[in-house]
Amino acid sequence: MDEIVAEYIRRTVLKIPRDEIKTVLQKWGFLSEVQLQTINFCQIKENISQDVVQLCEENSAGIKQAAVLDIIYNHIYSNKRVWSVYQMNKTGEEMDFFDLTDFKKKFKRRLQSALTNVTINFREYEDNAIWIRIAWGTPYTKPNQYKTSYVVYHSQTPYVFISVSVLKSNLPLLCQALVAASNYHDIHEMELRSHSLNSLKDIVFKRYSQNFQSYYPRPIQERNVAPENSRINQENRNEKERIQRVNLEVFGDGPQPKLEFARYKLETMFKSDPQMNVLNKKEPFRCLVKFSSPHLLESLKSLAPVGMADAPLSPLLTCIPHKARNYFKIKEKKGVSPRSFVSP
Amino acid sequence: EEEEGPLRKKSSCFPHIASSQGMEPGQGELTPAFSLAGEWQGKMEEEKAYSPHGVFAHLEMLEARAHEADMKEEEAKQQEEKLARLKARVQELTLQRDELQAKVDLQQKRQLEKEGVASDPAQPSAQAVLEWKIKRVKAMLQVFCLTGISGKLTKQGVCFCISTAYEGTCLDSYYLDLLTKPEVRILRHSIPIFIPLEQLAKKYLQTDIRRFLSVLSNHLNAYAARKYQADQLQEHFSDQIEGTLQTNSLCNLLVFNYNVPNKSKTFPFNVRLLYGDLCSSIPTKAPASLAEMAAAHSDLFCHVALHKAFRSFSDAGQSAAGAP
Repeated sequence: MDEIVAEYIRRTVLKIPRDEIKTVLQKWGFLSEVQLQTINFCQIKENISQDVVQLCEENSAGIKQAAVLDIIYNHIYSNKRVWSVYQMNKTGEEMDFFDLTDFKKKFKRRLQSALTNVTINFREYEDNAIWIRIAWGTPYTKPNQYKTSYVVYHSQTPYVFISVSVLKSNLPLLCQALVAASNYHDIHEMELRSHSLNSLKDIVFKRYSQNFQSYYPRPIQERNVAPENSRINQENRNEKERIQRVNLEVFGDGPQPKLEFARYKLETMFKSDPQMNVLNKKEPFRCLVKFSSPHLLESLKSLAPVGMADAPLSPLLTCIPHKARNYFKIKEKKGVSPRSFVSP
Repeated sequence: EEEEGPLRKKSSCFPHIASSQGMEPGQGELTPAFSLAGEWQGKMEEEKAYSPHGVFAHLEMLEARAHEADMKEEEAKQQEEKLARLKARVQELTLQRDELQAKVDLQQKRQLEKEGVASDPAQPSAQAVLEWKIKRVKAMLQVFCLTGISGKLTKQGVCFCISTAYEGTCLDSYYLDLLTKPEVRILRHSIPIFIPLEQLAKKYLQTDIRRFLSVLSNHLNAYAARKYQADQLQEHFSDQIEGTLQTNSLCNLLVFNYNVPNKSKTFPFNVRLLYGDLCSSIPTKAPASLAEMAAAHSDLFCHVALHKAFRSFSDAGQSAAGAP
């Protein structure tokens, strides 16, 4: 077995929490159940990883198997990466019979025609998600297995979730390959990023809980129980109910998708009488506001009920899941002073 | 009586017109129309006695039919109106019930506070009746959902709920929030991204909303049905399928292998189902390729040397297997 492969498998095993090494290896399916039973999973991770490598040596594992293990690891611990959503566009309306084998073939061919030293691996999951792992090399060096890019694509959707490697220079090539393989025409970044891949999917696939009004009886719709103390005055309760209602309208009644931050970039010109010659610079005034939280949307949702903000929050904050973006640029309307628009 | 006067006068001169006028939907008053028709029939019978040609008899029959149809239409309309009235009443009653419930709750609480323990024999029965009513209204709403498309007016428009089902199994529901002013526009929705909603909206939304909803519902139902079938196949027949079943998000392409036992041997079948019509749950292209291939092979055997025939098979196999 290749030295690089052995070391790669060893390091991948070391990344997994000890209690879960066994389940991950079972999912991998490369080592037989009998082989797995010979490993003592109670010893320190260093030793476990040595044992695993030894067994892999017996089965003569290649880079392909090692890559599959890495995909499984990244699928389970997808929160360790930052994912960015890309949208693809199509001009025609022709019917698309997406064929997985065809997609893989085209994708591989496109990348390999541009770069010979590249490792590409695929793995499909039940929800029609295709996971692609790409390890990049250069014409003169072997692919770097530790700086991989990951792509998650759901067939027949215009959205791609990409977690780029440190080697960003290969991103255009990757995008080209995706567009070609999935029969689209162009691709652009959507300004929506998060660690939680599933939340990003919920947002762009519209799976997050939106509060739709319908007569259809919902399974759970618990009315908030009136407070025990009836002396709480009516006015206070009315206000509380109003806040709750407004909040429900804006956020729905289910859990929010998980985002860690929202960034607003303001770019505006100082306005003054030009003759006064005060603050009449060509440079726009720039300001950056970043909201961050382990669970941004849930915290926004609870702002009003705890009394830290007025009830309908600014649409700039609440439009995040609807607009599917958490990076905003606020500029003056065009036409007011067109000279000032020079994108940095 | 004042209205009846001129009508009757007319009816004696132009019977057809009069009777149809009497039944015009806009006028809505039924009693004069009935009396008119009755009187007119009497007259017709008289005339029939005098002229045995049958023309009048025929006319009479036609009129009777028209009358009947009008009656039915009127009845349907009345029923519709009644339904609308009842619906409004349901809403009103629900509101009233909520108010009363709130009052009762408040009173109960006060009583409890005042008397400590209060046991009213009439209270549980009233509660039970209320609960029963709520249950009934809920059941009614559920019946509406069974139609597949239900809607509710919202502040700015309508929110439609499209429920899918396949062969008696209820599947997922999808929502569509529409703005109606200044023009019909989709505000939000929970329809899967791979359903061509935008195209459908461009085609029908502004012009024919009924059509839009029905086509969208067809798309969703067909998608749900295809997905359900694929899931069923995987769930119940996984022992007969070799390897994995390959599909895509829309489930409009299914690729799988299965064995067909024939005499003492089994033949591996490779199936590729194409669902060309997105509104259909039945493939448009069944694996005709199999029959074609078998035919081609037997054809080759009959015309080409055996080793050459096999060489062409393996060539075809390699090109099908694709890049390594």
